[in-house]
Amino acid sequence: MKLFLLFLLVGLGLVLVQTTFLHLLPLGPIVPDLILVLCVYWGLNHPTVGAVLGCFLLGYSVDVFSSPVLGLNAFAMSLVFLAVYLSSRSIWIHNPFMSAAVVFAASWIKGAALILVGSLFLAADGLWIGVLKYIFLEALVAAVLAPWAFSLLRRGQKMLEEVTVPL
Amino acid sequence: MLAFVRRNQVLLTSFLCVLFSLYILSAAARGHLRGDPVGPLLLALMRPLQIGTQLTMVKLKEMQQGYLNLMRIASENERLKGRITELEAERNRLLEVEATNRRLQELLDFRSQLPSGSVTAAVIGNSASTWFRTFVLDKGSADGVRRGMAVVSPAGVVGQVVAVTSRSSKILLIADPNSGVDVIDQRSRARGIVSGSLDSGPIMKYAKRSEEIQEGDRLITSGLDGIFPKGLLVGTVTRVRKKTFGLFQYVEVALAVDPYRLEEVLVVSAEAAPGAR
Repeated sequence: MKLFLLFLLVGLGLVLVQTTFLHLLPLGPIVPDLILVLCVYWGLNHPTVGAVLGCFLLGYSVDVFSSPVLGLNAFAMSLVFLAVYLSSRSIWIHNPFMSAAVVFAASWIKGAALILVGSLFLAADGLWIGVLKYIFLEALVAAVLAPWAFSLLRRGQKMLEEVTVPL
Repeated sequence: MLAFVRRNQVLLTSFLCVLFSLYILSAAARGHLRGDPVGPLLLALMRPLQIGTQLTMVKLKEMQQGYLNLMRIASENERLKGRITELEAERNRLLEVEATNRRLQELLDFRSQLPSGSVTAAVIGNSASTWFRTFVLDKGSADGVRRGMAVVSPAGVVGQVVAVTSRSSKILLIADPNSGVDVIDQRSRARGIVSGSLDSGPIMKYAKRSEEIQEGDRLITSGLDGIFPKGLLVGTVTRVRKKTFGLFQYVEVALAVDPYRLEEVLVVSAEAAPGAR
């Protein structure tokens, strides 16, 4: 329960940060996708039903704040979780480099999912043009941030597990 | 069946979420999505947080801008302080040049009243002893300065040359106890010798008791000593005291020239007769 609350707060905090603070970073149009990093973390370290629903809700939150239609990011994040969950069974090594690589790959999956469903449901012309560069840059930024984000999440989780609530 | 679902609940939930999001997407794209309960709730929940964050960022940005402005102003302040120091130094230099120019102009005017042969000299050194009042000029015999010549300034008598080298000369000031200048009281025409003293200021010696000398009387050179040209101001009487006995009266004098403030002087011969000043 405590862990669920922590992840809920972290998720809402990331939505808040991503809609306000991160736009100020000198990265041009690229906004570091920390929500994606959190979804990957869940997929790798906490593959539970709550984590699946969390990914869906975080994607949905991004849709509420950013997408032209609801469901785009919810789909992408759910797919990312699914992909990471399936691949996590084959990943035996957990180190910063591996987490960065998984996040990088997950960012590409998210980009591909967005393009795919965007092409199907939004009928936007020329969606492919120039988008690869942005997917790559977004994936790169997310991959760079991933080790630190993972470390912070692990630390927070550990601290929470050590706290004993008096009855 | 239940065991299969339990074993693969994450996988099944994930598939369901993917499908559900596709359904939402499809409905939203076609405009069939009605009554989204989560969106408005989320927006309402996040609104105050977003406003708070935004305001905090604006404040932080303002603080950062303020700090940068402060740094810029501090840097500008330092630069201006440096500039003020430079300008102060420049101003002092110009004031010094102006003062020198004025002094030299006065000296030039004074020199024009003297016969030719006078030498303009600068003071380059003061007395190294407490007991003597002398200073050194930058002109010597090579410039026409000879021993015994008078040293004067536009303000009055300064002293006389007592030693000469080829490039410098030593001056005995009239404030020195060993010095003596033959003077006349400009008002009463009483005569005497002005000389320095160590204990008090300069005094006028050998002024007869019968002479009418008053405080404030101006004393000028008589020209009879063969050293100083006649008519140059020596000083002013500051105190007169007549004792009940003796031939002479006691007269204290304030010299017209403060020798320690002089920078340029004229060295003249006794033949110069500028007239009473």
